[in-house]
Amino acid sequence: MISSLQELADQFSKLIPQDAPLPETPAAAGASCAHGGVASQASTNPVQMVDYAIKGWHLDVRARPDQVVAAAALLDENGFATDAVTGVDWIAEGEMEVVYDYFHPANSWRVVVRARVPRSKPEIPTISQVYPGANWHERETHEFFGIVFLGHPNLTPLLLPEDADYHPLRKDFKA
Amino acid sequence: MLDDVLSLARANSLWPLTFGLACCAIEMMAAGASRFDISRFGAEVFRPSPRQADVMIVAGTINKKMAPAVKTLYDQMLEPKWVIAMGNCAISGGPFVYPGQYAVIEGVDKLFPVDVFIPGCPPRPEALIEGILKLEEKLTGKRRWPEVIPQ
Amino acid sequence: MSALSLLSSGEREHETFILNVGPQHPATHGVLRLKLTMDGEYITRAEPVCGYIHRMHEKMGENRTWAQFLPNTGRIDYLAAMAYGHAYVAAVERAAGIVVPARAEYIRVITSELNRISSHLVWFGAFLLDLGGFTPLLYAFDDREKILDLLEALTGSRLTYCYYRFGGVCNDVDDDFIRGTREFVAGMRPRMKMYRELVTDNIILRKRLIGIGHISAEMCRKYGATGPVIRGSGVAYDVRKNEPYSVYRDFDFDVPVFPEGDCMARYLVRMEEMVQSLRIVEQALDKLPGGPALTAGVPRVLKPAVGDYCFAVEAARGRFLVRIVSDGKEIPYRVRLRTPSFSNLSLFEEASQGMMLPDALALLGSLDLVIPDIDR
Repeated sequence: MISSLQELADQFSKLIPQDAPLPETPAAAGASCAHGGVASQASTNPVQMVDYAIKGWHLDVRARPDQVVAAAALLDENGFATDAVTGVDWIAEGEMEVVYDYFHPANSWRVVVRARVPRSKPEIPTISQVYPGANWHERETHEFFGIVFLGHPNLTPLLLPEDADYHPLRKDFKA
Repeated sequence: MLDDVLSLARANSLWPLTFGLACCAIEMMAAGASRFDISRFGAEVFRPSPRQADVMIVAGTINKKMAPAVKTLYDQMLEPKWVIAMGNCAISGGPFVYPGQYAVIEGVDKLFPVDVFIPGCPPRPEALIEGILKLEEKLTGKRRWPEVIPQ
Repeated sequence: MSALSLLSSGEREHETFILNVGPQHPATHGVLRLKLTMDGEYITRAEPVCGYIHRMHEKMGENRTWAQFLPNTGRIDYLAAMAYGHAYVAAVERAAGIVVPARAEYIRVITSELNRISSHLVWFGAFLLDLGGFTPLLYAFDDREKILDLLEALTGSRLTYCYYRFGGVCNDVDDDFIRGTREFVAGMRPRMKMYRELVTDNIILRKRLIGIGHISAEMCRKYGATGPVIRGSGVAYDVRKNEPYSVYRDFDFDVPVFPEGDCMARYLVRMEEMVQSLRIVEQALDKLPGGPALTAGVPRVLKPAVGDYCFAVEAARGRFLVRIVSDGKEIPYRVRLRTPSFSNLSLFEEASQGMMLPDALALLGSLDLVIPDIDR
């Protein structure tokens, strides 16, 4: 069990080393550097501490899609709870971002893990075997964005009608 | 003559179906509670079963997923039956209508005929009571309760 | 084959049948459908089906300007609309760097806590109605009307408030409101005592709730359940204490926690929370500072800085998080609403296995769900 956020950040840095190449996209740079992110840190560092007073979370982790399950397991070991899983459609960059929010029930720590998948093949492994609560969040993200969570036991629509074949929160959705 | 007596009896004891869908349901519950008290008008007996209800107060937004269930409930009600559309969502989709919307049915009168429309988001319990009185007026042909005129 | 031999044959297959509860049902607090696979009176599998009141709030967030989305926040969870408005407004204030004056923060706390009490009163009435007691609903709604009168004079709405603005609140409180709120707080304390003697100590209620619907702290953590659900399982998690926001640090209040994890624990958490909210309101009225209630100079068309931000509040049902993504325009790029009822209901399938149907409905009532909160 870790005793400080810096220790958690170090463990994440071991899991997601900085030399692993990450796509540098303008929006990601905006999210981490401008207004609340740590501007002095190089934006290629995937694990960053951000200003809680402005952003609302402490640790920001940019992972590859195949690293999100290990990230979830690391947080589960350290007593975090799943807050939300959602998607953001970055249509201009041809990518979708899956954002995982976590909170800790015993203190104030907040961690955000994000991963990008290509819009043409939006697939990412499920974390529902680590956190059963993510099951419904991933179902909702699937039906609104079309992101496929590999290994999910039941990826059917949750809020839309059972036979819905459209993904409303995509930026190119026309009713 | 018999028709008058029957319609007076029906007007005095309209039994609503518990059909609170969203926010308007809370104002409907408040109308049934002790301050606004629709029991004065014979309508506090909310029936869960549509077979026992006279009036369906559609309180809330009708969704495309919910629409078949609403239609089934309407069909299950026995004649004579009436429908009150309470709140902006039941009248025309309410604040959830925007160009390109995909989930909301714009008004319950797209599914079946409505007798009284009560605007508001949500309408006050007094507005619901006024709507019930309007329905009674529709049934009996004349308004039996004084009209409240603001000073 | 005689009838006797049929009766005495040892092998009886347990046949399960599917019972459909809802979407129109008096005990589901809205349009929730439960597909229950029943073995006699016992539930083998409970599958909640949602989406019957899906009103596209997150999509509307991408079609409305930042300010035009404010009325939507009141309609996600209409019983605790103030806290939801608070989360959205504060997230945008973080993004745009707007500072809220102290008086406005105190007014926000007072109105949010009054709203919490009125939300818990509706839960109390509806929960007892589910369990079969009709009278507490009438008493609870009576008390609630007093709060609604105060808030209606201040904000103009009884239920779906849209009172907070970027930089403060839209209408300052006057002496009538302060006097009326103090009278309400003084009159509510004896009523809470009455509820304890009349309802909480009632033997029928105790037999129906104690030991029923156990949810462990580990289950809460895995499913992300918050609010009275996690506090009724022994974990002292309250966003007002864990991630203090607004001016909650200035107040002295307790967070009620009960370790048993059954329906009675969650019931007691909410009843005690109402008492603590009265304490907060009283302290806030005593410490209410002067000054403006709305920051001057906030642009009419707001264009917050690029990036994503979030803000979490303790709503009546649990942790409500708003995550906004701004691309510098006057319309948000993405608004994500993480609602407490969604996570609280997701554990129902696991928690209700093997329960009897009336006990499962007691569990459902003790989770305090508002279905538009789930479906958004």
